[in-house]
Amino acid sequence: MSASAPVINLSSSNIRADGLSRPGFMLRLFGFAILVVAFFIGMRSPDQGLFLRFWMQSWLFVTTVSLGGLFFLIVHHISHAGWSVVVRRPAEAIASNLQWVWIGFLPFVFYWWKGDLSIIFPWANLDALKHISLEEAELVGKKTAFLNDKFFMIRAAVYLVTWFVLSRFFVSNSVAQDSDGSMARTKKLEKWAGPAAILFGLTTSFAAFDWIMSLNPAWFSTMFGVYFFVGCCTGGFAYIGIVCLRLQALGYLKGIITTEHYQDIGKLLFAFGVVFWAYIAFSQYMLIWYANIPEETAWFLARQLGEWRVVSVVLLFGHFILPFLFLISRWTKRWRGTLLFACVWMLASQWFDLFYLIQPTIPHDIGAYSSYEQILAHYANESAHFLNPWNWILLVGFMLMLVGTTLSRLSSMGLLCMKDPRLAESLRFENM
Amino acid sequence: MTTLSPTTAPVTQGNQIPRKRLYGIVAEFHDPAALMAAADKVRMAGFRWWDCHTPFPVHGLDKAMGIKRTILPVLVFGAGLTGTTIGFCLQAFTNAASFSIWALVWVTGYPFLISGKPLISMPAFIPVMFELTILLSALSAVGIMFLFNGLPRWNHPLLSNKRFLRVTDDRFFIVIESRDPRFFASRTEQFLKDLGAKAVEMVEA
Repeated sequence: MSASAPVINLSSSNIRADGLSRPGFMLRLFGFAILVVAFFIGMRSPDQGLFLRFWMQSWLFVTTVSLGGLFFLIVHHISHAGWSVVVRRPAEAIASNLQWVWIGFLPFVFYWWKGDLSIIFPWANLDALKHISLEEAELVGKKTAFLNDKFFMIRAAVYLVTWFVLSRFFVSNSVAQDSDGSMARTKKLEKWAGPAAILFGLTTSFAAFDWIMSLNPAWFSTMFGVYFFVGCCTGGFAYIGIVCLRLQALGYLKGIITTEHYQDIGKLLFAFGVVFWAYIAFSQYMLIWYANIPEETAWFLARQLGEWRVVSVVLLFGHFILPFLFLISRWTKRWRGTLLFACVWMLASQWFDLFYLIQPTIPHDIGAYSSYEQILAHYANESAHFLNPWNWILLVGFMLMLVGTTLSRLSSMGLLCMKDPRLAESLRFENM
Repeated sequence: MTTLSPTTAPVTQGNQIPRKRLYGIVAEFHDPAALMAAADKVRMAGFRWWDCHTPFPVHGLDKAMGIKRTILPVLVFGAGLTGTTIGFCLQAFTNAASFSIWALVWVTGYPFLISGKPLISMPAFIPVMFELTILLSALSAVGIMFLFNGLPRWNHPLLSNKRFLRVTDDRFFIVIESRDPRFFASRTEQFLKDLGAKAVEMVEA
């Protein structure tokens, strides 16, 4: 519409990144090697439960980031979005990580096969739980129809296969459109985005119940699925921002992704990753705080004991208050330096959030104390394990896999949905 | 603001010829590109009291006109913070206040102890603080927007111009108001004609 439309460079040097293939492969190889070695050392370590929790944390981190990419694709297609076509390919590269994340679940299958699943999931062995806490065993015993190891594994397989198929469907059709330019593909993706959204919502919610909530099987929160979903959005949108910013810094997509697109990614990150997260986290907290029922409050008590209290406060400031004040301005979303900083910050916050969700355990001897102060005094020296080497080794391993796969997919798929019917609209998109 | 139909000729009373005040000059364009080019030139000529009217949003027009960003967001943020503060004070006062004014009048709230929570307990206060933040932000956003746009009003001088009515359909207009210090009826009319306007007309207030 403007009088002098800028010429957009669509030559292959701008929208193909063949050079990323090799570094991508190397990163993936290193990451995989680190994970394999870490697992073989970890399974011999004295506290295998702790190791598995760290594994769960970092594995779920890359899984949630990839799920965020998939969610972006689903929303893009379901709303017939025009602005996001130029950033869709990076999101597709991120979502295609869902085609390998099932590997990260294998250690749990291995422990199940060994019959040791209770090393991380207390519900898997009720007899052992009875020795620790009779009341808890009684509560958890009533949930065996859902929380039993066979059904647990079947459900996990359903989630992982669903994510594999969804990411495959959305990515492969988009890539195929680059060569055949068929409008029917766009129509097909838009038609199936609706059912995909339902599947996505169900699988992420139940995955959260299974993999994080059931670590403390007596505890429950109906908000928890949404909380996990918000985590996916936080990680996914932050990572989409980082990938786009880094691709442009490397000299790709010049003049294609503009300040206007970055502002919209920043808006999504602000709305979902910051505000909606706080909204859900507080809703979950306030209901439990208000009702004050011991079996519910124990979960938050565990996060206020000893140094976990510091973790909770850092999360409150790091995931909500500081980024809220930082990202509320228009210019911080439009200037690349500040947006990159915010994206990296929020990605780290998502990882820290998972640390907060997965690591603290509810003390089984809570009943032995007569007051909150006594429990606090007893657990004052409870260390937060944040500097535990496993925390960092596994993070590096999984991140290398994530980044490596994203780069490889970007180099094999190209960086732009060339034949998308809404590409022109996206290229000249402007915030009013 | 009085309105006159465009067909009404000036009425003479005795020897005096009442002069109607001039509101401004409208210049009609037939396509957005011509409008953009003209708007660029009007801005360069240094006019302040002028505006563009189009049937649909035209990308880049704000830039061509040199419109600065509105301070509305800052005001809304301030209103939101006010709401948060009011929300907190309201609850803290009604639930936990207890003081005297010069030992004459005792002012107390209505302290309610619920399941052993302290009188000032933030988690319980946050929903109200949140709602008041949203309420004041939303109301102030709409209210200040109306204020800035000079709304509500019954009529506008431009609506008396027959030609201008096509602004909601397929015509694009630049209006330079007479209160602009650089406005001189004849000179400005010529200026707009030189910009390539298809038609230029005076509009009376």
